[in-house]
Amino acid sequence: MSVSRSQGAPSHAASAPPVERPSTARATTTSAASQPRRSRSRLPRPRRILGTTGTYVAAIVLGVFSAFPFVWMVLTGLKPNPEIFTATPVFIPSEITHLRFVEVLTGDFTLYLRNSLIVTTSVVVLTVAVSASAGWVLARFAIPMRRYLLILILSAQMFPFVVLLIPLFIVMRELGLIGTYPGLIIAYLSFSTPLVVWILRGFFKSIPVDLEEAAMVDGASRAGAFRRIVLPLSLPGIAATSVYAFIFAWNEFLFALSFNRNSPEMHTLPVALQQFIGREGTDWGMIMAASVIFTVPVLVFFLFLHRRMTEGMVIGATKG
Amino acid sequence: MTQQTAPSPDPGADEAPQQPGQASGRRRRFGRRWYESKVLPVLFLLPAALFIFGLTVWPVMRTLQLSFTDADLEMFMTGEFDYIGFANYAEVLTDPHLRSVFLTTAVFGLICVIATLALGTAVALLLNRAFKGRTVLAILVLLPWAVPRVAAAIVWQWIFDDQYGIANWALAGMGLEMFEGFAWFNNRYTAFTAIGITIVWQSFPFVALVMLAGLQSISQEVLDAARVDGAGPLQTLRRIKLPMLKPLLLVLVVISTIWNFKIFDQVYVMTGGGPARQTELLAITTWREAFTQHDFGLAAALAMAMFVILAIVTFLYLWLIREDDEDLS
Repeated sequence: MSVSRSQGAPSHAASAPPVERPSTARATTTSAASQPRRSRSRLPRPRRILGTTGTYVAAIVLGVFSAFPFVWMVLTGLKPNPEIFTATPVFIPSEITHLRFVEVLTGDFTLYLRNSLIVTTSVVVLTVAVSASAGWVLARFAIPMRRYLLILILSAQMFPFVVLLIPLFIVMRELGLIGTYPGLIIAYLSFSTPLVVWILRGFFKSIPVDLEEAAMVDGASRAGAFRRIVLPLSLPGIAATSVYAFIFAWNEFLFALSFNRNSPEMHTLPVALQQFIGREGTDWGMIMAASVIFTVPVLVFFLFLHRRMTEGMVIGATKG
Repeated sequence: MTQQTAPSPDPGADEAPQQPGQASGRRRRFGRRWYESKVLPVLFLLPAALFIFGLTVWPVMRTLQLSFTDADLEMFMTGEFDYIGFANYAEVLTDPHLRSVFLTTAVFGLICVIATLALGTAVALLLNRAFKGRTVLAILVLLPWAVPRVAAAIVWQWIFDDQYGIANWALAGMGLEMFEGFAWFNNRYTAFTAIGITIVWQSFPFVALVMLAGLQSISQEVLDAARVDGAGPLQTLRRIKLPMLKPLLLVLVVISTIWNFKIFDQVYVMTGGGPARQTELLAITTWREAFTQHDFGLAAALAMAMFVILAIVTFLYLWLIREDDEDLS
């Protein structure tokens, strides 16, 4: 890609066959995919080439900017120590050491990994269960004061964490929930629920009521219609909101830091990581390895849901 | 699940003169309808309502109460605190450090909002074009979003490390010799630069994805019509795409403003508010007052100030989308 930027772009464009003009019969099958291309084909050729080159330059710069820090994190985690602490960065390590990753996964860090997993999974499941039902009711039923309820929900997700932190900390302390899983999980639900309700409600509203009514004519109960018709159809929305809840809970730092200050064994990954870099002579290799392991579950979740979302889009396409 | 018989008491079964006929199942069916239209929604709504009310509205009330007290660590022992009126608020308004924190938060937040939206929109426009490797780029763009905030702060801190950081190496390599061994986090402005880059890096993917979805929702017919009328790409962008995306942009501005007002993690990890409390933002200061100074009263007053500012922004937002009645109906 980088080669074509300097010299290859003009020759490539010259040698490439002119924009295809497929016969109309065939065009119908591919029209959706080729739409953006078609719209630009009218530009005069020199500007098009300039535009194309510009596009690729921008794409490369953007790609490097987006990916480099993560790549650098992985590389630093894999490099032998002498190659980490150099004035001139070493981009291609002379040897790959996976020992740090092994140590992160078998050493003390497993404790924090487990804490994070327990808290995050609980938050995702509870958030989606609670919010899907509420979102559906708000989408379908004439609830008194619905408008104000919706405004409240919308505003609630904008409340700064810090405003809620102090009273929730005090209450959790009084209830003896400081330094426990439930304390953190309950606190996290206050942030994940409002936005997820809001988003899922939007999804449910976009599904025609007729489908539910048809199912009820066929003998399903109202809740059954929700479960069998609405929920499957809003799978992309549920997937998206699960990602949201997951990322939120996995990343959350402020509450985890404040609630578990006196119980280090309850630290979640971000807090544990932060505690590592405070020290003198920071072991950047270990920190980077741990950061990679902290980051990977989010990536996996993203990829998994990426497919789900595409699936949902395909289903939507065939039905529409 | 099918045909569940609801043995409910059927209060006033004769109230609903629906369709005539089918008298046998009428009572039962009415019971079910009553259950489904009155009981079911409440059951479904209740848990979320409890969470939202109990974990957001109530705590805000409590913070408001605390902000008028001198609550400190003793409160946990004795459960007692005294009301001291507006003293905490007076301190917020008069303390020079606290005042400068407000200004810093606003200026820094605003810069981050502008940078994030500009970059995010540009990225959306780029991703909306057809080119080879577009899918790969779309995935790469997701990366910064997927990287947890604390991990991002750590890796950028490493990139901006004075001795071994790749940023200094690259800048010095470009001939800027002052960056050799440059300590980014010893100076307020350079520390904020590093933090700002981290924040923009993390938040532009969201803006880009939302804007991209918006761009793709613009119907091809409109764009075709513009093209037929002789509009170039820049004109299309300025006259059609951006105006059509304006509501979306406004929403993103408000959301980003709110996010950037709440910044905590990146600063806490990268500088901890230092050097000499110079990179403290509102959330950091509030946290410090509460959890290291144990001055819960002052912290609550700061939190309320932040809450009021964000409430104003939120109302502005609601006012902006007010024409979107369908959304709140």
